[in-house]
Amino acid sequence: MSNYIPTIGVEVHVELKTKTKIFSNSTNGYGKMANSLTNVIDLGYPGTLPTLNEEVINLGIKAATILNCRIRKVMHFDRKNYFYPDISKNYQITQNETPIGYDGYVEITKSSGEKKKIYIEEMHIEEDTCKSAHRGTKTLLDFNRAGVPLIEIVTKPCLSDGEDVKLYLEKLKELLSYGNISDCKIEEGSMRADVNVSLRKEETDPLGVKAEIKNIGSISNAKLGVEKEIERQTKLYDKKETFKPQTRRFDDKIGDTVLMRIKETGNDYRYFPEPDIPFVVLTDEMIEEAVKTIPMLPDERREKYLNIGVSDINTNKLIQNRSLSDYFNELLEEKINHQIASNLLLGDISAYLNKEEKDIKETTLTKERFIELVNLVDNNTLTSKNLKEIINHILEETKSIKEIMEDNNIENITDDTEIRKVIKKIIEENEESVKDYKEGHDRAIKFLMGQVMKETKGKINPKMAMDTLKEELE
Amino acid sequence: MKEKLSKEEVLHVADLARISLTEEEISKYQIELKELLNDVEKINEVKGYDDDILIACWENNTELRKDEAGEMLDPKEVVNNAPRHSGNYIEVPVVISEGEGA
Repeated sequence: MSNYIPTIGVEVHVELKTKTKIFSNSTNGYGKMANSLTNVIDLGYPGTLPTLNEEVINLGIKAATILNCRIRKVMHFDRKNYFYPDISKNYQITQNETPIGYDGYVEITKSSGEKKKIYIEEMHIEEDTCKSAHRGTKTLLDFNRAGVPLIEIVTKPCLSDGEDVKLYLEKLKELLSYGNISDCKIEEGSMRADVNVSLRKEETDPLGVKAEIKNIGSISNAKLGVEKEIERQTKLYDKKETFKPQTRRFDDKIGDTVLMRIKETGNDYRYFPEPDIPFVVLTDEMIEEAVKTIPMLPDERREKYLNIGVSDINTNKLIQNRSLSDYFNELLEEKINHQIASNLLLGDISAYLNKEEKDIKETTLTKERFIELVNLVDNNTLTSKNLKEIINHILEETKSIKEIMEDNNIENITDDTEIRKVIKKIIEENEESVKDYKEGHDRAIKFLMGQVMKETKGKINPKMAMDTLKEELE
Repeated sequence: MKEKLSKEEVLHVADLARISLTEEEISKYQIELKELLNDVEKINEVKGYDDDILIACWENNTELRKDEAGEMLDPKEVVNNAPRHSGNYIEVPVVISEGEGA
């Protein structure tokens, strides 16, 4: 156990899901041929002027709302000046003075059950830089990423351990991807996290020397990176060694952070207001319009699902699958057994979708047909065994489920009088087994059930038959 | 008012601009840069300057572009316009200090 108190702050960049770039109308895309998604603005050619993409402001308002931030109504952009080949203009257009959102929070639930608010200092809009790859003595530049809209979300230094960082990043990813703000793919770089870690002895001490961890490739690595960094700094303090503020990166192969560079001097970006972009003044109507289109978020979904009787496990599984959860949302008001509906979606239907690599929207399962299916399963007309046999037909044909059952000779005896008649007949014909059962031989009941199934050619609902059989044997 | 910048100040500015300077140039810029700064500082003498800084003259006229894709450049044209390229990539001398920028 460390004798020091860690102070951790996280900066996250997410790329926004727009069709075009923030300041030009070239396409915002990933995985395309290098330098094929650019125009003169992205390349910073002299004499070009940026124009601000409406959708970026729209998504910025939504993100600020989702992250419980206050929204700034009058904004401008600033130039952050630096010479580095990832930005050909020699400045990045960002929001230094007037970030669109500020004073927000997201809530995480720790493994101990404790709820904790992670406070957001500010979130601002800016342009992404071009992507550089270092090859021996050369650096290769791809400007497809240059000008892709970003929001940078900066927390207060209020996180205390690796778990906080992991849970915060997971929550952010869940919220922003559900909100259609970003696809938040860490592996593709559309979500990138930098974590600042420092240690101090007492809460009242000034903050310790800071190390920034960059290039974190996954959420689990973020947790591990923070834990390793706390360990490293603890050892140094214990040995009374000093160190300089530094930037480190997480190395996947060794599972630890390694030094990238020592920060000798503070940054000197000489920010000044961007004169090429007019002020942005948000009206109440603009904010209302944007907020109206925020889809139902995970916490609200969770509450609704639990309220209509869906189990904890199924609720969480549904929320992990956005497309199934959206489909399920259409059924919330229907008078059906929602637990059975969720079982079907997560069971046989998911199995089919995974195997066929399809989305539920690509199947023929309309809302009406799904409701019919849920009810047939709920009233025992369709057994799980029979469902498996016809699931492909259900998801590929447009006939009613009843018709599909008929086509496949599936009929189930669900009529109580009929079931009882068959069972009485079997009991009369098998006196020996009945005697065995009454003497405590459990195997006898399995034999009797087998006879019932044989008599009805398997068309009886097994659960109903078993219940009735037990009743008749008493 | 100081007559000239310190040597360190000139070297810091040179470092930000990624240029190297000879001793002779440093001495020259210690004076010339200071003269420039002195001229700019005269703006501070204007009354009311700090009250309400005018950043743009169209403060109440939000201009936004629709999110619709337009024409892009041919990648060949892009790379041929750079001093050096390697395939479809623009090539620059290796830069060690990773991770600047956004």
